[in-house]
Amino acid sequence: MSKVDLAQFHKAFFEESLDGLDAMEAALLALDEGSDDPELVHTVFRAAHSIKGGAATFGFSDVAAFTHVAESLLDEVRSGRRPMDKAIVELLLRSGDTVRDMLSRSMSGQPAATAESQELLAALSAMVAGHAAVPAAAAAKASAPADDIEGWDITFRPFDYLLKTGNDPARMFRELEAMGPLSVVCDAGKLPALDAMDAETAYLAWTLHLAAPAKKAAVEGVFDWVDGDCELSIVPKLAVKAEPAPAPVAVAAPAAAASRTTRESAANSESSSVRVGIEKIDTLINLVGELVITQSMLSQFADGVDASQLELLRHGLAQLGRHSRELQESVMSIRMLPISTVFNRFPRLVRDLSQKLDKKVNLDMRGETTELDKTVLEKIGDPLVHLVRNAIDHGLEMPAKRAAAGKSETGTLRLEAFHRGGSIVVEVGDDGAGLNRDAIVAKAVQRGIITSGDGMSDDAVAELIFEAGFSTAAATTDLSGRGVGMDVVRRNVMDLGGTCAISSVHGKGTTFTITLPLTLAIIDGLTAAVGEETYIVPLVSIVESVQLKTEMIRSVAGGGELFRFRDAWLPVVRLHDVFGCAGQRRAIDEGIVIVVEGEGTRIGLFVDELIGQQQAVVKSLEANYRRVQGISGATILADGSVALITDVTGLVRMQSRRRAA
Amino acid sequence: MNQPASSAPETEAAEIAQYLTVNLANEEYGVDILAVREIRGWTPVTRIPQTPHYVLGVLNMRGAIVPVLDLRLRFGLTREEYTATTVTVIVTVAGRNFGVVVDAVSDVVEVAPNAIRPVPDMGTAVETEYLKGLTSVGERMVLLLDVDRLLQPQDAQMLEAALPSAEEKAVA
Repeated sequence: MSKVDLAQFHKAFFEESLDGLDAMEAALLALDEGSDDPELVHTVFRAAHSIKGGAATFGFSDVAAFTHVAESLLDEVRSGRRPMDKAIVELLLRSGDTVRDMLSRSMSGQPAATAESQELLAALSAMVAGHAAVPAAAAAKASAPADDIEGWDITFRPFDYLLKTGNDPARMFRELEAMGPLSVVCDAGKLPALDAMDAETAYLAWTLHLAAPAKKAAVEGVFDWVDGDCELSIVPKLAVKAEPAPAPVAVAAPAAAASRTTRESAANSESSSVRVGIEKIDTLINLVGELVITQSMLSQFADGVDASQLELLRHGLAQLGRHSRELQESVMSIRMLPISTVFNRFPRLVRDLSQKLDKKVNLDMRGETTELDKTVLEKIGDPLVHLVRNAIDHGLEMPAKRAAAGKSETGTLRLEAFHRGGSIVVEVGDDGAGLNRDAIVAKAVQRGIITSGDGMSDDAVAELIFEAGFSTAAATTDLSGRGVGMDVVRRNVMDLGGTCAISSVHGKGTTFTITLPLTLAIIDGLTAAVGEETYIVPLVSIVESVQLKTEMIRSVAGGGELFRFRDAWLPVVRLHDVFGCAGQRRAIDEGIVIVVEGEGTRIGLFVDELIGQQQAVVKSLEANYRRVQGISGATILADGSVALITDVTGLVRMQSRRRAA
Repeated sequence: MNQPASSAPETEAAEIAQYLTVNLANEEYGVDILAVREIRGWTPVTRIPQTPHYVLGVLNMRGAIVPVLDLRLRFGLTREEYTATTVTVIVTVAGRNFGVVVDAVSDVVEVAPNAIRPVPDMGTAVETEYLKGLTSVGERMVLLLDVDRLLQPQDAQMLEAALPSAEEKAVA
């Protein structure tokens, strides 16, 4: 059983450790803000302890050694021998980062220890040692006898379920043996007859003698994981002049209690969340999508048959419809995660940035429990970091300047998520200086984006910061506004099918509003007939649908057609031509033009007619075929046939390329 | 199932491969039955833009979007009207599914490896690179299609063929 390949558990270990580090960081930040809840210290300790144990088991000795020292420091705080102060929090936060780094290095098979980790390890050790020099009497007593100890007598009597907890006594003995000569006497008295024996029950007990002056903590450390699952006594064998040995049970007891709480909390978190492979969920989602389609096929069929005895069938179908929709919703919800998984990184980011910039920032996070699709969540993190960074860097003023403006010295950064309609809205707001209109206009003119800012509304000026050419590294320093990569932020958000808007009041602050779809797996779309085909246009990109008269069209050289929409001339894109659809072409006044917007550019899509609005389960074309320009995917209509979903951004790009050519 | 002849001794069965035979322009082709996912009667497909002419479109196979190509057009034969016997054979190659439209399916035959002869490089409508070999079943000759080959070079060609046409469109 010792031949089990441990590598298969590595992934789980890394995931759990990273979760543990997140919990540790959150607790440290709370402590940093002056909370004195002892449970926080316990949380940090537990995280360090679990990582240490796991790392030792799986052979990541550098990580284990590092966390061991951090744990020793935490233990002192936990037991009240040392007060928690800012210096410790700072050191532990950095340790958390280092462990994260070490883990990711281990994950990729590199040696975990780096110069940085060694340095930090030294700092941690120094802090632990520094304490030992000014010890409480108890600590002195515990460490002093170490000199006189010449060995340890250990009796180890596992409870019968010990093997089922995954512990292997042989491994523990090997660990002891590494400390010095070990003699083992086995008590097989409880061993039953062979036919009555259960291979997974522990019947044996051992008396061990370790003939080496090992540290008490080291010896106890070997038995860390079996605490509470066995009768254990560890008695130092003192040199001849020995004083009476300290009662071992008394020392072991608090440790046992601590490890029991660890185990309880582990059990709790296991029952409240389950790790499921995303591909399994995707399969479920597909299946349920099918169910919905089948249901609508059936009900369409039922509508076509007029016979009164079909009433029952209709009733049943209605029920099927209700149930399958419920099922779909609940399965979709498996993919949903609270946005706190993204928000969690901000307390640390804000703390570090504000310290670096000498600004005072109060982070106000709301609606962390708002749930979002996992795919959306993964991609929204970077844009949000960008916005938060910008808000602190450029939005909020220095304390002195704030005071001069009659505001509180501490700036407020608001991060809020909430539902609005079928979307999730995430707002990043600050109460800083707001955008500097003049600076933005000057920059935009200099970059050739506009010729002059005269007559532009404040909103239109604010929009300029999203322009691709606007932001450069240099812009950061000469602008009191914002400007680093805002076009990237907007593009990322739009790739997710969302929108990004800005509102700014001079002297009062700036707010970015990101609106995101709940999920990428289902879109709301408008179905449109084009020739003999049906296409779906995503609702989020539709501005308006208009019917044009022939005389409203201006032809331009090169065969393009333009029409007037509000204050602009937009190109007409005939989907018949772009997609080469079979079927009769219609004159412009016989069809309808859907005005869509992609990457800030509007075009008019000419289609024969609008059929209706429907939710579409997005299916990949690439899974069995390849990408097709202007098409983002496909879906299955109520009659079982396939309809293609238009990629508005792609069509806009095709249109601008055509114009350029 | 109702083929007592096929219940040959286990040792031989391991070597004998089964082929689904399909008709195309009066010739009989064999497709390795292990690659066949599904056989369905011809139903119209949804056309997709910017594809070579032999890719007819996509269909819905239990929720998956599967491209369909006409084997006649693929091999440069004349296109026939689709009839009641026209079928789409859906095959899986390297984890990807695609449908192949043929005139009809006819049979499942068993072919021992030593009964496969090399294809003489002449006289067949299909380029020999897509053939594994030929074999005879009774009086009939069956050309064995190399399904793996059918997809890979053609996949690359599909991309090549598609890109210029997309560019052309953009320019036009």
